[in-house]
Amino acid sequence: MSGGDIKLVGFLCNWCSYAGADMAGTSRMAQPAEMRIVRLPCTGRVNPLLVLKAFQEGADGVLVSGCHPGDCHYNEGNYYAHRRLELLSRMMAVYGIEPERFRYTWISASEGARWAETVTGFTETIRPLGRLNLAGGGARDDDHHQGPAAGSASPAEKR
Amino acid sequence: MRIGVFVCQCGTNIAATVSTERVASAAMALRDVVHAESIQYTCSDPGQRTVIAAAHKYALDRVVIAACSPRMHETTFQRTMAQAGINPFMMEMVNIREHCSWIHSDMEVATEKAIDLVSMGVAKVRGQTPLFSSHVPVVSEVLIIGGGVAGIQAALDIADAGMPVTLVERGPTIGGNMARLDKTFPTLDCSSCILTPRMVEVKHHENIRLMVNSEVEQVRGYIGNFEVDIRKKATCVDEEKCTGCQICEQKCPSEAPDEFNAGVGETKAISIAFPQAVPLVASLRKEYCRLYIKGKCGICKKVCPADAVDYEQEDELHTEKFGAIVVATGYELFDWRQAYPHYGGGLYPDVITSIQYERMLSASGPTGGHIQRPSDGAEPKEIVFLSCVGSRDESIGRPLCCKVGCMYIAKQAILTREHIPDSRTYVFYMDVRAGGKGYDEFYRRAQKEAGAVYLRGRVGKIYPRGGKLVVMGADTLVGENVEVEADLVVLATGIDAAAGAGSLAQRLNIPYDQYGFLSESHPKLRPVETTTGGIFLAGACQGPKDIPETVAQASAAAAKVIVLLSHDELETSPMIAEVNHMRCIGCFKCREVCPYHAIEEQGLRDGRRVAVVIESLCQGCGLCTVACPPSVISLRGYTDNQLIEEVTAVLR
Amino acid sequence: MVSTAYSYYPGCSLTSSATEYDISFRKVVEALGIQLDELEDWNCCGASPAPHHKAETLGVLLPGRNLHIAGASHDAIVAPCAGCYNRLKYAQYKLAGDQDIREQTSEVFQAEVRYQTEVLNIVQMLNREITPEALRERSQGRLANIRIGAYYGCLLTRPADILGFDSPRDPRKMRPLMEATGAEVPHFPFKTECCGSYMGLARKDILLKASHRIIEVAVSTGLDALVTACPLCHQNLDLRQEQINKAMGTSLRMPVLYFSQLIGLAMGISPEELELDALVVQPDMDRWLKGVA
Ligand SMILES: Cc1cc2nc3c(=O)[nH]c(=O)nc-3n(C[C@H](O)[C@H](O)[C@H](O)COP(=O)(O)OP(=O)(O)OC[C@H]3O[C@@H](n4cnc5c(N)ncnc54)[C@H](O)[C@@H]3O)c2cc1C
Ligand code: SF4
Ligand code: SF4
Repeated sequence: MSGGDIKLVGFLCNWCSYAGADMAGTSRMAQPAEMRIVRLPCTGRVNPLLVLKAFQEGADGVLVSGCHPGDCHYNEGNYYAHRRLELLSRMMAVYGIEPERFRYTWISASEGARWAETVTGFTETIRPLGRLNLAGGGARDDDHHQGPAAGSASPAEKR
Repeated sequence: MRIGVFVCQCGTNIAATVSTERVASAAMALRDVVHAESIQYTCSDPGQRTVIAAAHKYALDRVVIAACSPRMHETTFQRTMAQAGINPFMMEMVNIREHCSWIHSDMEVATEKAIDLVSMGVAKVRGQTPLFSSHVPVVSEVLIIGGGVAGIQAALDIADAGMPVTLVERGPTIGGNMARLDKTFPTLDCSSCILTPRMVEVKHHENIRLMVNSEVEQVRGYIGNFEVDIRKKATCVDEEKCTGCQICEQKCPSEAPDEFNAGVGETKAISIAFPQAVPLVASLRKEYCRLYIKGKCGICKKVCPADAVDYEQEDELHTEKFGAIVVATGYELFDWRQAYPHYGGGLYPDVITSIQYERMLSASGPTGGHIQRPSDGAEPKEIVFLSCVGSRDESIGRPLCCKVGCMYIAKQAILTREHIPDSRTYVFYMDVRAGGKGYDEFYRRAQKEAGAVYLRGRVGKIYPRGGKLVVMGADTLVGENVEVEADLVVLATGIDAAAGAGSLAQRLNIPYDQYGFLSESHPKLRPVETTTGGIFLAGACQGPKDIPETVAQASAAAAKVIVLLSHDELETSPMIAEVNHMRCIGCFKCREVCPYHAIEEQGLRDGRRVAVVIESLCQGCGLCTVACPPSVISLRGYTDNQLIEEVTAVLR
Repeated sequence: MVSTAYSYYPGCSLTSSATEYDISFRKVVEALGIQLDELEDWNCCGASPAPHHKAETLGVLLPGRNLHIAGASHDAIVAPCAGCYNRLKYAQYKLAGDQDIREQTSEVFQAEVRYQTEVLNIVQMLNREITPEALRERSQGRLANIRIGAYYGCLLTRPADILGFDSPRDPRKMRPLMEATGAEVPHFPFKTECCGSYMGLARKDILLKASHRIIEVAVSTGLDALVTACPLCHQNLDLRQEQINKAMGTSLRMPVLYFSQLIGLAMGISPEELELDALVVQPDMDRWLKGVA
C-alpha cells in the first residue's frame, strides 16, 4: 500500500459474509479498494486479540462480518462473536483507538449489495480519520511476536 | 520451503483490470517463493497441467493460487495438488476476481491490491502443515423417531434397501395423525385403506424392529456412530402374549379419555387405540386405572385369556448404536381455547376441532360415522367451518399457515353433504389456498357439488342462542356483516410441532423454530438434512405438510440415509481443533462453548485432566480457540500464527 | 408531586347526562376513605370529534392540557368515563412517543408539557384501593340473589397497546370485584361487542341494532343487570332501551348499572345515595336485596 493511504482489514466468515462479498463481486458492485479480506470459518473464530493485533500492526480500521443472528452455520458461533466483539468495541477508546475504526456487522450470502454498501460506508468513515496513530508510538514495533496479542497467542502454535 | 504462485487471468475476467504479469513478478520477491507465473485459465485442464508440471519442475511443497473465490474452486485445486503429489491442504487460494478485478476499474489500484492479497496468501501458506482426513467406521443401523406416515414411509424405504431399522413411536400404535383421518383430499380415498396395509408391512418387515410406547432419552455420538438410550415405558401388558382380543377393554370398569379419537367418546384404562392398531396390543394407563387409584381391581388380569396382563412390568432402558437418525415426530393441533375467548374458549360443546370432526366422519370412529352434536347427540343440519383458527393470525402471534386447513375443510364439506344430504355448510375463510395438483378443482367441487357457501371473512364471535350457535362474521366481498345460526361449528385449528419436539431437538442437537418445528439445513438445497450430520427430517415435524408432501420428504430422507450408509467408512475434515495437552490447564472453557459437544475430558498418565477434541464431532468452527484462556487450542488451517502472518503481511 | 390523593377528572358526561356516575363514584371513594381532588379548571377531553379534526394535534392538546394541570400536583389522575380515560391515555402516548407533537404542545402551553401523571380508569383505581377479599368482607354476600354481567365495550380496552389495561378480546379486570359482591357472574359472550357508540346521531338504526343484541344476549344469558364503566355505553343501553324495544318490536328489560353503583351497593351504601333511581330501566331492588339485613 502506498504511504498515506489507509489500510483496512475485514475478518469474514466463510459461510455468509465471505459469500456475500463474492456475490457483490459477481454482481460487479464497485467498491473502494482499501479493504483486505481474511477468510475464517466463523466470526466465533475471531479472537479480539487478533483485532487488536491488526491495529497494532498498522490497520486503520477493522471490520468483522458474519452470518445474521440465528443463521450461523455453526448454530451459535456468531452469538459468542457478538458478545466478544461488543465488549471489544466498548474497549476501543481505552486502547486509544477511535471507536469508529472498529465495526462488526451481519451480512448474509445473498446480501451482496449490503456488503458493497458496508465496505463503502466503512471506508468513507475511516478516510477522514486518516492513519491510526497509536499513543506511545512505539506500540507498533516491527517484531509482532513481542506484542501483547501475540504474546498470549503465538507460543501455543510453536509446538 | 518452496512456494509456487499461480496468478490466473481468467480470460479477461481478471486480466482486464489486474496485471497478472506484474502480480507474478511481485510474488517472486516474496520470501520462500521459488516460482510464479500467470496462467490464462488455471482451472482448465491445460491450466491444471501447467501447475502440476511447475510443481514437479520446481519441487514445490506449497502453492498459492490467485484466481476466483475459494468457494468456487478450492476443491478443484485441492485435487490438482493431490495429483501433483502435494498435500491438498498446502494450497491457499487468493480471491483476486470477486474481491478485486470485478469490483475495481482502475488497473493500478486493482493490481496493487492483488499483490497485497497474494502476499497475504503466501504468508498464510507458509504456516500451513500437511493435514490428513481420517476415516470413521459407520454403523449400518438406522433409527427412526415417530411412526406417522412419514416414519412408516422412511422405515419401509430404508428397510427395503437392506438396512436394519428401529422405529421408535411414543404412542401405543403407529399410524400417527393420518390414522385418524376419514378420507383424504384431493382424491377422497379412504385413509385407513391406504395406510393400514403399510402399517402391517412395517410390523412384518424382517429389517424393521418396532418399538411402541417408547421414547428417545439421550443421544450421544456423531454421524455414523450415534449411541441412543431408548426408554420403553411399562404398559402392564406383555406385547408377546397379547392377542388383541380386547376382552380386557370390555371388562375394564375405569373410564379414560380417548386420545386417539381426540376426546370424542371415551375409552377404558386398558384399551387398544383403534381396531387396526399396529401392534394390536392393549396398553394400560395407570393414571386412569382403578387398581392404581384405589388399590383394588385387577379385573383385566383375571379376564385375559392369554395371561398377558402384568402389573409388575417395569420400564426398559435400551442403549443402541445407529449410523443415522430420521426424525419424523409430526404435528399436533394448536390448542385454540386460550387464544379465542370470543369463540367461547371451549365453553360450548358444539364448537369442535377439525380432527374431532374427522373422527366423527370415520365409519370406524366413536360415532360409527354419524355426525352428531356433542351437546345432545342430534344430527346437525347447519354446519359452519372456520379456517385459520390459530393460523395467519398476527393478533395472537401466530402468522404461520397450517397449509392443510383450506383443503381439508373442502374435503369435510364434501363428506358432510354425503353423510347428511339435506345439510347446509358454510365456510368462513381468509383466502383459499389450493395450490397443488388437482387441489383447486377439488375445492371448487366443494362449492359446486356439495353446495358449500364460502364467505370471505373472519368470524368475530360465536355465542349460544336457543340451542343453536350464532356465528357472527363478515363477508368482506360484499362488505356486510353475516350471521349464521349453526348446529355445529368446526374449527380448522392451527398446527404446532408435536409436544416435546423442542426438547427432543435439544437432545439431538438440531435447531428448531418458535413453534417447535425442526429446522432443515438449507430451505432449498438441503431440505431433509439438519445442521447435524447424520440426522434427517421427514414429514410435518419440519413444518405443516399434507400427506403427499410428507411421503415425498420421507422418501427423500430415506435416500439420503441410504447414500450415507452405503459406505463402510466416513471421511472427516482435518480442518478441526487440536489441544496442546502439555499446556492445557483443564479449565474446560472450550467444552462450554463447543456447539457440537466435541470436547471431552481425559485423564493423562501424570494425573492431569485435560481437554481432547473428538475428531469426528468437531466441525471446525474455532469457537473454542478463542475461549481457551492460555490459547492452547488451535484450529488447523486457521492457527493464530497463520492468521497473524496473513494480516500483518500487508500492514507492515 | 405532592399529594397522595387522586386527581379527579369527571369530564363532561359525568357533569351532565351521567351525574349518577359521578355521585356514586364519589360516594364509594368517600366510603373507602380516599381523597379525590377535582382537577382545577379542567376542559373537555375532545371526546370523539377532536381526534378527527383536521388539526391533528387537537386530539392531543385538549386532553394534554388536563394532564399538564394534573401533573403539577398529583401522581395519578382518575377518569371514570371510559371515553375520557381513552383520550387521556392517547394524549399521553402521543406526548411520550412523538417529539414533534410534544414540542408543539409545549409551545401552545408556553411551558414544558407535563404528561407523565399516571392515568387510571375506575376499574384500575378501585382494584388498587380495595381487594376482592376486603370487598367480600364488607359485602357479606349482599348481592347473592342476582346474576350480573360485565360489559366492557370498546373504549376501556382498545387500542390495547396504547391503553395497556386489559385484553380487548377477553377482558377480565372487572370480574374479581364483581364476584366479591356476592353476585353470580356467568360468562357473558357480548362483553366487548360495540354498543353503537356515537352512531345515535348519524345512523341510529345501526346503533339500535347493535345495542339491541347486547341486551338480547344479556337476557338470554339470564342476567339481572349489566355493569358498565362508560357513560356512552350506558346511554345507549339504558336510556335508549325503550327506543330499542320499539324499533325491534321487543319488550326486553335489562337494568344497566355503573361499576361504581354496583361496588357501592356491595359496600352497603343505599340505592338512593348511589342514585339508582336515575336509571331508566329500574332494577327490582326489593328482590335484589331480599333477606339482606
Ligand atoms: C383435520 C385434518 C385433516 C387432514 N386431512 C388430510 C387429507 O385429507 N389429505 C392430506 O394429504 N393431508 C391431510 N392432513 C394432513 C396429514 O395429517 C399430515 O400430512 C400427516 O399426518 C403428516 O404425517 P407425519 O408422519 O409427518 O406426522 P404425524 O401423523 O403427526 O405422525 C407423527 C408420529 O410421531 C409420533 N411422535 C411424536 N413425537 C414423538 C417422540 N418424541 N418420540 C416418538 N414418537 C413421537 C406421534 O405419536 C405420531 O405417531 C390433515 C390434517 C388434519 C389436521
Ligand atoms: S391384554 Fe389380554 S385381554 Fe387385553 S387385549 Fe391383550 S390378550 Fe386380550
Ligand atoms: S472447533 Fe468448534 S466444533 Fe471443533 S471443538 Fe472447537 S468449538 Fe467444537
